[in-house]
Amino acid sequence: MSSSIDAVIVTSHSDNLALSVNGISWHVDDAAILADISFALHKKQMLGVIGPNGAGKSSLLRCLYRYITPTHGQIRLFDQDINQFSAKAFATQVAVVQQDTLQFFDMNTSQLVAMGLTPHKGMFDGHTTADNQLINDAIQKVGLTDKAFLQYSQLSGGEKQRALIARAIVQRPKLLILDEPTNHLDIRYQIQILELVKSLGITVIASIHDLNLASAMCDTLVLLNKGQLVAQGTPSAVLTEAQIGEVFEVCCEVKPHPQHAKPLVNYFYGYMSQPLPHSPYKPSPKAEQHSSLCDIEVQS
Amino acid sequence: MSPVKDQYRYRLFLCFLALFATLSPIAAASFGAANISFNDVLQALMQHLPWQESAQSSGITERIVFELRFPRIVLAFIAGAGLALAGSVLQTVTRNPLADPYLFGISSGASFGAVLVFSFLSSGLFDQIQVTAMSSGRLDWWSWQNLLLPVGAFAGACLSVLLVLSLSGLGRSSQVERMLLSGVATSFLFGALTSLLLYFSNPQATASVLFWSLGSFAKANWVGVILPSVIVLGSLAVIVVFKRQIVALQAGDETAHTLGVNVAKLRLNMLLLCSLITAVLVASCGGIGFVGLMIPHCVRLLFPGRQPMIVTAIVGGLFMVWIDVVARCVLGNQELPVGIITAAIGSVFFLFILRHRR
Repeated sequence: MSSSIDAVIVTSHSDNLALSVNGISWHVDDAAILADISFALHKKQMLGVIGPNGAGKSSLLRCLYRYITPTHGQIRLFDQDINQFSAKAFATQVAVVQQDTLQFFDMNTSQLVAMGLTPHKGMFDGHTTADNQLINDAIQKVGLTDKAFLQYSQLSGGEKQRALIARAIVQRPKLLILDEPTNHLDIRYQIQILELVKSLGITVIASIHDLNLASAMCDTLVLLNKGQLVAQGTPSAVLTEAQIGEVFEVCCEVKPHPQHAKPLVNYFYGYMSQPLPHSPYKPSPKAEQHSSLCDIEVQS
Repeated sequence: MSPVKDQYRYRLFLCFLALFATLSPIAAASFGAANISFNDVLQALMQHLPWQESAQSSGITERIVFELRFPRIVLAFIAGAGLALAGSVLQTVTRNPLADPYLFGISSGASFGAVLVFSFLSSGLFDQIQVTAMSSGRLDWWSWQNLLLPVGAFAGACLSVLLVLSLSGLGRSSQVERMLLSGVATSFLFGALTSLLLYFSNPQATASVLFWSLGSFAKANWVGVILPSVIVLGSLAVIVVFKRQIVALQAGDETAHTLGVNVAKLRLNMLLLCSLITAVLVASCGGIGFVGLMIPHCVRLLFPGRQPMIVTAIVGGLFMVWIDVVARCVLGNQELPVGIITAAIGSVFFLFILRHRR
């Protein structure tokens, strides 16, 4: 079985591994939302989880931060089963920035960021000057110092996201999980947020919709489709024209990026001029021709 | 608002609150049917200080102050503090601004228990015991009723909490929704049973139940104050210890989970704690509405994001002490039930604050 092979690999490199996922599945009423997913992540690396809507990205991340319990399989964090951690101990190891957090909330930025202290505080621990320093540093790191006492609800989308990341910084995790952190952000903030996260020097797992952003920022990628793991590895191994065509059902051209030589995906457009295609696609080398951008092999 | 100004305002408020909390009991004790001035109270208090050899005690003024008014003020304070605290915690852990201490149908459960006691008493089932007790000279009908009533109310309140919990289950998924809905259902169930019993009972019992359900501190005594005080102060300590976790719950179940909070367990324990506070208070002074719902909102409107649990409790307590003063004084010869005044004054005050925060 593949899981036993994985186990061998895991033990041989385990001291360098932040996370290893061994054959996890999650079923809801006999429907498999996640099916037999295995991958491993080295310390201080950034893993991008990509895939179309409904591929199971959020479910996978929720398994990783124990909000849902997989039906089968095992997840090990720093060579320890994640179920063996207490709720509090786990929160000191893993911080999470969720996709959309609440709308109504009567806290200001500083108070929100201070919530990151929660798992580090015992029953009778108060708020110390060191805590304040930590909070102020985190707020400064995400560039919100001048908005520290503004209500959270008055922040813009990008600022909210950065405030949540500041909270995660205060939580001082060894693994940071972000569920679509770049959603609703303009391109400047998309890049800024991911570079900020990368600069923290900890292990990061982020689900990302933008393939080019994932390619540029992540050390490794995991490509999900319909709850299955389709591909994993470096961006150039995962982001191939064939795999993007098959999973996302669009055709594209992949070239090395002029700056960092990682894959750069150029999409082709004009799908409505033809009957809605079914996979597989083959991108045309003569894509610049204006009428037919994609050669579609219609299956008989 | 700038943080420094906010901090300054908060400190100023705390000083004012401390001063007000010190003076309130003495001032409140000088109101009532007997004509006792602020100075009289102060004098009585001075004579009762522990290092004073109280040779010339037991004057009528001192007896009124110490045996009638002070227990009453303490009970009012404890009741207001407990209800405000329970309301604040429940609103936070259920993330529902309309949550109040009677969320679990506690009030209707307690009413049902009380009505049940009244009905049994008036139906004559207990006549034999009553006669025995009365003939021994220790209990008359009224004190007999006063003894059984809190027991019945407490049992009814506990019954409603158990019913809500068994209806809603203990799991995390949609815990809040199921609890709120079960609470509403339980409220109506006990409300219906209470109405049924009242329909078949005599007018005297109906009037007693009505007066009781609107709340009163008139029967306060030092012995009766002990249990509510212990429960409310103990709960306050527990809540202050778990404040970080409670605040984290406000940010949503999933966020709280990622901050290391055991969501389902914490919420269940907090709900049980608030139920205990409420059940004890309902049993000792009836169902006083509004305080638990509105005091937390007032404090929150004044100091957004701070979640000051102790301040909420003190504000609730002081509010109740002065409401009770109004209850004693507004009609010359008769007391008004506290619940009527809390609702009337409280809602106007709340609208005032709401308007000025716009």
